[in-house]
Parts: sequence; C-alpha cells; structure tokens
Amino acid sequence: MSQPKHIHHYHRHMSISYPVSFRQRLYSLVVVPLILLIAAGFVISRLGGQTLPSLPSLSWGLLILALLATFLRLLLAYALALVLAVPLALLISHNQKVERVLFPLFDIVQSVPVLAFFPVVILFFVHFNWYNGAAIFILLLTMMWSIVFSVVGGLQVVPSDIKAVGKVFKLTGLKYITKVLLPSVVPYLVTGSLLAWAGGWNIIIVAEVLHTYIPGGSSSKDLFGIGNILVETASSGQQHSFFMALLALVAFVGLMNFFIWQKLLRYAEKFKFD
Amino acid sequence: MIIFKQVNKIYSGGTQALKDVSFEVADEELFCIVGPSGCGKSTVLKIIAGLEDPSSGEVRKPTNVGMVFQSGALLPWLNVFDNVALGLRAQNAGWRKIKEETQKYIEMVGLNSLEQKLPRELSGGQKQRVGIARALAINPQVLLLDEPFSALDTGTTEELHKDLIKIWQQTKKTIVMVSHSLEEAVTLAGRIMLMKAGQVDGIFEINLPYPRREQAHSFIEEVHKLRHAFFE
Repeated sequence: MSQPKHIHHYHRHMSISYPVSFRQRLYSLVVVPLILLIAAGFVISRLGGQTLPSLPSLSWGLLILALLATFLRLLLAYALALVLAVPLALLISHNQKVERVLFPLFDIVQSVPVLAFFPVVILFFVHFNWYNGAAIFILLLTMMWSIVFSVVGGLQVVPSDIKAVGKVFKLTGLKYITKVLLPSVVPYLVTGSLLAWAGGWNIIIVAEVLHTYIPGGSSSKDLFGIGNILVETASSGQQHSFFMALLALVAFVGLMNFFIWQKLLRYAEKFKFD
Repeated sequence: MIIFKQVNKIYSGGTQALKDVSFEVADEELFCIVGPSGCGKSTVLKIIAGLEDPSSGEVRKPTNVGMVFQSGALLPWLNVFDNVALGLRAQNAGWRKIKEETQKYIEMVGLNSLEQKLPRELSGGQKQRVGIARALAINPQVLLLDEPFSALDTGTTEELHKDLIKIWQQTKKTIVMVSHSLEEAVTLAGRIMLMKAGQVDGIFEINLPYPRREQAHSFIEEVHKLRHAFFE
C-alpha cells in the first residue's frame, strides 16, 4: 500500500531513550530539577512581581492536596484520551479511504491551539455549572493527539512478516488487534502518553484559572489545583509561596518520571522488533 | 495436494510477478522452488499461504497451512512456549491440548530447555527452530518455508537441514520450501522447480537417498545438472 509521504515523518522517529544506570536516573530526578529550580529562583528574585505584603506562605499540606487534585484531573483526561485515541488510530491505519479523510482533519485540529477554543468550551460547560468538565475537556483535546499520531506511526512500522503471521495462524479481527497490533505499538503508546502528559501539565496552568475566560467571572469559580496556585501566587507577588508551589510541582513531575515513565519505557523495550 | 494451473499474478503497479505458472505438489513430498531474487518464488508461496490471491488461473491448496519466515517473525513479547502455542490458542484449543502439542513440537525441534526464553535471548538458528515448531503445532496440511535459512551461517544451516529432513520423515508433512540456493534444494528436495522472471523454467526430480551431502559425487553431479538446465 503506498502511503502519502507526509505520514512517513509523523512521530515515527520520536523515540525517547531512558537512562540506563541508576545513577543516571538519579541525575534526572535530582540534578536537572535542581538546576531548573535555581534558574527559576534567580529569575523570580530579579523580576519578581509587585511587592505586596506577602501573606503567610502556603502549607505543604495544601500544596500536596492541590497537586493531587490536578493529578486526578490529568489522570481522568488521560484515560479518556486513551479510550478515544487508540481506536481512532486503529481506524485511520486500517482503511486507506478513512485515512485520507481523517488524517488531514486531525492534523488541522491538533495544530489549532486548544486554548483558542477555550472560551467557547467554557461557555458550554458553564451553562451546566460544570467547571471541572471544562478543564478535563480541554485536557482531553490536548492529550489525545500525541497518542493518536504516535500509535499511527507505530502501526505503520509493524513488519509485514508479523502481519503475515497473524493471517497464517488465523488470528483475526479482535484477536489480531489485541494479540498482534496493540502489543506491537506499546513503545509508541508509551512515548505518546509521555508527550500527552507533558502537554497536559502545560495546559493545566491555564485550565484551572477559568475565571479569566468568563465574561464577568470571579475567581471563586476557579478550580482547586496546583495550576491555580501557581497563577495566583505569581500574579500577586507572593514569591515565597510561588517558589514553594513550583518546587512541589517540579518534585512531583520528577517523581512521576522516575517511578512511572522510566519504568514504562524500560517495560516497552520488550515489545520492540529489533 | 497443491495444484497451480496457468496462474498469473499482476500487481496493481503493473508488475507481472507470475506468468502461466503450473505445477503440482503431491502429499508428503518435499518440494523446493529455486530461483534468483524477483523470480516469483515468494509470490507462489504467498498464494499457497493465502496471503495473496492469483490474478488468474486455477489454484488448489489446503486451508490449513503453516509458514516459516526468513526473518523468523516471532512475536518479541512472547516466550518460546507462547510463540509456539500461538496458532493453537487462536483456534481456542483446550489448555491441555495446547500444553501437550506445544511441548511435543518444542521437543521435536530440540529446544526443550528454552521454553521460557524470549526471542531476543535466542540465536538465529534457535529462532528458526521456534518458527518451525510454531508452524507444525497447528498440524497443518502443508508446511511452507520462505528462505528460512538464508540469514544463518553455514554450520547452523547444515544442522537445520539435517533436522528438517528428520522432522519431515517423522511427521510426513507436505513441505514446500523456497530457496535461492541450488545446493540447499538438492540437499533437501524430492523435486525442484526452477523459476526465472515469473515463469517456471523446469521441474526436476532428485533421486538420491538421504542424507545427501555425504555422497559427495552424486550430490555435485545433481547440482551441476541443474545449473546447466538453469543457465542455458
């Protein structure tokens, strides 16, 4: 089957290598975040916001709860993104006609900044008084495209002999998908998920501060989460609290990387065809 | 029993991979198809396997077919046992039967102690043995081999030749094997079909007893005969 040239370059060469030794992993957990935090601290202290009398600093307990709230939102959005993205990727790869219609469409949709849609989406959810819904919807749209394109790329490089094995040994339909195709794309699924979460963390800063998008909205409608805290403390010049929140976020993401992503990347090696 | 009658295969780009190919393979025969790259031998095999359909002509082939690939094509996330059991599991056979059959064929190819290993822990020769066991485990009516030993070193290949003959004599399966090597075909086959540019160049019988390389003179004679037939 001859494929449109542009598909060849999509996400197929994005492979994230994982640190091999424990020492390297520790570097990624400690050294890199440390450098980032020091740099951030430097910038903040130089360019700090208005010097309002700072309120007492946030408690770590509050920060941890906020992180958890944000994390749960991301988790839910990710789960929904998986449920939508994987079947979509399978659909695009299965049928050349479908591919020709959907692929350019998705290409356009994913490149439009999600935040540009934000006000429209907000208005819809505001109608139902469901602000968490709005945030999760935005997250979902941000996260799903990385997964779709990664999996599509992965499906394109399944060796033709492997596909032949499926046919010869009578693995058809659902069995073919679950026992041959999906395992084949596990490395791409992990890469796509990692990228999805990275995008998600980015968007969450904004998605939790909804009142700026609602005409006549008040901050009482904002969602509780780390994104909200970061924005509020930064804009009101509470440098110390901001830095604490930033530290908490970086630590959390670093720990996620250490305990989850690196383990997943190592697990995904088992599924590679080399 | 496999029958090809004036089979043509033309791909959508216009290339004619097969032109008027006709031959028959009898039951329990070891039949080799030999020719240079692009001669259509793999296409013939794919049609027997059901992976391709002929553009025209008549094909009679069995429905239950096992295939061994040049690249091995083992699923990298499954260990030896699960790879060999793949076809049986697809048929929803009972777990007892799966266990028995899988172990029987793993033993037949000489890999008993390696059931738990993953493909990346195996040598090239071992991977091909797994491939053979996997193809035999479904009890196919015909066993197809697509240049299975091309990527292996000579020593391993010779070992596998001997074992393939043993397995063939033991299981009495019909075997169709594609090869680019005349020597390999003369070592193994009862009949050899030479192909060139999509057409059948000749079908030859080899009447030497097994094992063949041991009888150096007759072996070399047969190879020379075929070479002449092929290059005239």
